[in-house]
Amino acid sequence: MDILGSLVVGLSSGGLYAAFGVLLVLMATLTRVINFSQVAVGVFGAYLSLRFIPLDLPTWVIILIAMVTAAAISALLGWIIATWLGESSTTARSAVTVATLLGLISLSFLVFGTRPQANPPLLVGPLFTFGDIAVTKVGVLMLALAVGIAAVSRLLLTKTSLGVRLRAIADRQTAAELLGINVKGLQLFVWAQTGAMSALFISIVGNAQAGSANSMIVLLIPAAAAALVGAFTNVWLAVAGGLLVGALQGVLTGFPSITLLTDWVPLTVIVLFLLWNQRKEVWDVAR
Amino acid sequence: MSLADTTAATSSRQPDAGSPAPRRHGPWWFPWAVALGVTVLATGLAFALPDYWLLIATSVLVAMMSLLGLGIVTGTAGMIALCQLSFAAVGGWVMDLLMTQTALPELLGGAAFVVAMLVGATAASLLGLIVGLPALRLRGVNLAVVTLGVAAALDMTLQKVSFPDQWTNERVQRPFGIPGAEDLSGNRSYFLFVAGVVIIVALGVFYLQRSRWGAGWRMVAFSERGTASTGTSVTSAKLSAFMVSAFIGGIAGSLMVGQITTANYITFQTLNSLGLYVLSMAVGAHLIEMAFFGGILFVLIPEILKQFNIPLEWASIIYAVLGIQALTTKSSMGNDLRRMILAWQRKRGLNSIESTLVSLEPVGAPVPAASDNVLLEVKDLRVEFGAVVALSDVTMQLHEGEILGLIGPNGAGKSTFVDSLTGFLPHHTGSVTLDGVELDSLAPHKIARAGLRRTFQQDRVPSTMTVGAYARFVGGKEVDEDLIDEVLAFFGCPGTQAPLQMVDVGTRRLIEVAANIAAGPKLLLLDEPAAGLSHEEHVAFADRLRAVPERFGVSLLIIEHDLDLVRSVCSNLVVLNFGQVLATGRQEDVLANPEVLKAYMGETEMVS
Amino acid sequence: MSLVLDDVTVRRGIGPVISNVSLEVEPGKITTLVGPNGAGKTSLLEAISGVVQAAGGTITMDGTDLRKLSRRRRSTAGLKHVEQGRMIFPSLTVRENLKLTARTQADFEEALALFPELEKRIDNATVLLSGGEQQMVVLARAFAAKPRYLLLDEMSLGLAPVVFLRLMPIIKQISETGVGVLLVEQFAHMALGVADDAVVVTSGRVSYQGEPQGLLSDEDLLKQAYLG
Repeated sequence: MDILGSLVVGLSSGGLYAAFGVLLVLMATLTRVINFSQVAVGVFGAYLSLRFIPLDLPTWVIILIAMVTAAAISALLGWIIATWLGESSTTARSAVTVATLLGLISLSFLVFGTRPQANPPLLVGPLFTFGDIAVTKVGVLMLALAVGIAAVSRLLLTKTSLGVRLRAIADRQTAAELLGINVKGLQLFVWAQTGAMSALFISIVGNAQAGSANSMIVLLIPAAAAALVGAFTNVWLAVAGGLLVGALQGVLTGFPSITLLTDWVPLTVIVLFLLWNQRKEVWDVAR
Repeated sequence: MSLADTTAATSSRQPDAGSPAPRRHGPWWFPWAVALGVTVLATGLAFALPDYWLLIATSVLVAMMSLLGLGIVTGTAGMIALCQLSFAAVGGWVMDLLMTQTALPELLGGAAFVVAMLVGATAASLLGLIVGLPALRLRGVNLAVVTLGVAAALDMTLQKVSFPDQWTNERVQRPFGIPGAEDLSGNRSYFLFVAGVVIIVALGVFYLQRSRWGAGWRMVAFSERGTASTGTSVTSAKLSAFMVSAFIGGIAGSLMVGQITTANYITFQTLNSLGLYVLSMAVGAHLIEMAFFGGILFVLIPEILKQFNIPLEWASIIYAVLGIQALTTKSSMGNDLRRMILAWQRKRGLNSIESTLVSLEPVGAPVPAASDNVLLEVKDLRVEFGAVVALSDVTMQLHEGEILGLIGPNGAGKSTFVDSLTGFLPHHTGSVTLDGVELDSLAPHKIARAGLRRTFQQDRVPSTMTVGAYARFVGGKEVDEDLIDEVLAFFGCPGTQAPLQMVDVGTRRLIEVAANIAAGPKLLLLDEPAAGLSHEEHVAFADRLRAVPERFGVSLLIIEHDLDLVRSVCSNLVVLNFGQVLATGRQEDVLANPEVLKAYMGETEMVS
Repeated sequence: MSLVLDDVTVRRGIGPVISNVSLEVEPGKITTLVGPNGAGKTSLLEAISGVVQAAGGTITMDGTDLRKLSRRRRSTAGLKHVEQGRMIFPSLTVRENLKLTARTQADFEEALALFPELEKRIDNATVLLSGGEQQMVVLARAFAAKPRYLLLDEMSLGLAPVVFLRLMPIIKQISETGVGVLLVEQFAHMALGVADDAVVVTSGRVSYQGEPQGLLSDEDLLKQAYLG
């Protein structure tokens, strides 16, 4: 039953990948950015909030500080992109987030040091066990959050007037602007929301998954794999993709002889998906 | 842009930029003179620099090598690649393996390092191939995701396996018996070795960028459709850029290992790859001298911080800020510099180069007559976008030697027709044959090679080349250079030396037409060639076009909604309306057809 | 009180596509702008709504200098630009498209009443509608915003004439509620049929300005404007 055990462990990481995958999909569809800084703003916000622990604030205030910080950084980044690259290609817009990823990693080494952070997970221990297999609280919560955010965002986008406006912008930005819709303001709202969610996720998983600034990259890759499974458009497939990556990694840890391969799982999922998705040659209309 | 453009710009400062100069590439000795100068300078530095600064200088050269490779992908070919140091790591790792775990050093002696370095670089470019293949068909962002994935995964793998020299605690032997890192005299010789390798690679990159490959990379960065239409495969252009970039990255990796004679995964970690990418965007590393400047920044900024006891992380933050600045202004230091030079040249009286089309003596050729040979046969062509039928059952013929006009109001399906003929809409039904060859299932670049070429409504001429480099690229491998000069002159275009950056958009479109004629296709599709031309240019252009089939053996299909040009060059017309052929036949008959007038102006009777 | 263009020049790339154009659109009236393809009609509308910036001249709407305002401000000030090519939001339903601009339920119902045939498609995604229905959605959507001025670009593009014919009286109806309409059309006859004023633009310049009847009755003048 070792395999089953490692599968469950893997799935618990998969919940985190799925949650970030959903954020990446929302960003890609609503702001036309593949956000390489998605994890980074969350990690940075969470680390900053740790500095407030000595003040004996309640946990929820600490998490709130993390979320507000991440939302602010994310919105600033969104503002830069919306102001100067409003009508540029997805590639050009996304390239800026690569630069901010570099900046955030370095800044966090500078401000918080290079040693692992004292970032305790919000929830510790198993939710339930059967036999010697433990299903952790964090894993279940992350999966619930991933599904919850996917569902809430679907509801928001289809049932509210805010959501309708967001979809209009995603469909045709210029046409939306000509109808008087506040494109920049709404996009900043999306940036701030996804930034805050990132910080929430990091605060929940703590240093188990995000011990150092390196996690800004390490977590991004499986999240991007999850989002790619959803072709950066489908939140539900992104959830499935995150779980798939997590499960594969988990199962592989059950075979210590090929442990090197686990690091290559997200990349393999990405590559296989791209190959499948690109059976036919596509010509971009604009180019 | 590269050094090639500077030299071209310099030579076109002569007053008569229009007359073709005897030199084709600027002075041939220019790059060699620069190389010689750098060699002398490097030799001088090797003896003059204090020990510590010599190490720094070596690091600058190695960083420059990484940027040089990266610049090809990010600058010249316009893609996001985030694993340049992974290529370096693979190159260095393989070299390390060969030098410490095999009998290669004993077999080859002093040359072993060079051989191992080349093998390592080849391994790196193979990794480039494997990484690039799935990613290149999609647009740039996916390449970014994949390369970041490679960087992160290789990072973790290297932490676990470490470099081969550490398995046996053995140092890598430097080339040609140069003593190892502890011996200071060795460092001077090693600096000279690195400088030599950098100069050779820089020369190689210089000539590659001016070759067909280099032109292909620039075309791809500017327009994928434009590239395919010249008969070059977009995938192979991107892949070659990626593999060359990885190869140079691999060499850089070997040089890094050789510098300290042992290797540590930290050197190659993802964060540094990100830094290199951002820096390459900030400086514009596709320019060789800017890659060198970037190398200086990459090493010197941390060094200066160290002198002032400022944490080294500030260096990456500085790169990030420079990178954001460059990305949001869509420019780079190198491009800004070039622009300043250009503005300075303008101030000195060198204005943008215009066509001399209007002042040419009219040829006076009559409207060419069609022969009996059917060149292009389109049968029952049908294109659907979802429920919308864009083209339904279009059937037409074009005869050898004629200029056929395809006209119709806006939205009639003219652009869809061109796209499906030239392979950009593979999902059409019906058949297209050119001179007996079925074109339907061919990719765009294969169709171009089969003798059907096209020009575009939008500007597809990249401003980063010279007129000659562009024309030679469009013309293909076997193009006759004299023919290029002849056709360019025939259309009153600037000479081959002129940089396209200084040519206005209207003239660029003339150059596009001329270059495609020089490529010698059987049939050339001109998509609204007269848009943007003045009335006088219009008349002169029509006069020249009429002579094209007879003089250059190229038949023409002109897609226009402007009837002026069509009237003066076409013997036969096909009219499209709502995706169907409304009328076809002799020009006078078609234009006199009341149905055609209705299509252009709407139904008169229905309102009045 | 009107939409006034004075001496407006628009550049695309290097050369001007619109040179020194002056015209006026009055509330409650339709000004039809006709001219051959490539005459610069679309660029002129884009300069008014702010998709591109005019290179010279002044554009005022009821006394407000539009050139100082962003696209969105021009739109919220009461100027609605219906671009060519049926700019529906494909993933939105007909209802959502209209609700996007309608401030009240009354505005929504009034807009829908323009095209009763849309009611049976009300909850379909607009991407699944026919071209004519999509054009109706786009027009109704602009009307639902209760604009003061409407810029309509090539409503006929890719539509069968009979469909376009259905739209013309609706445009007239909209203008009669007090909206100033600037109608750009290639299909001259139908568009001039509903016009109060006519402007012909060729090669970026005004070549005729005045009564639509004058243009309609002079077939040669019209032909000349189109076919050169």
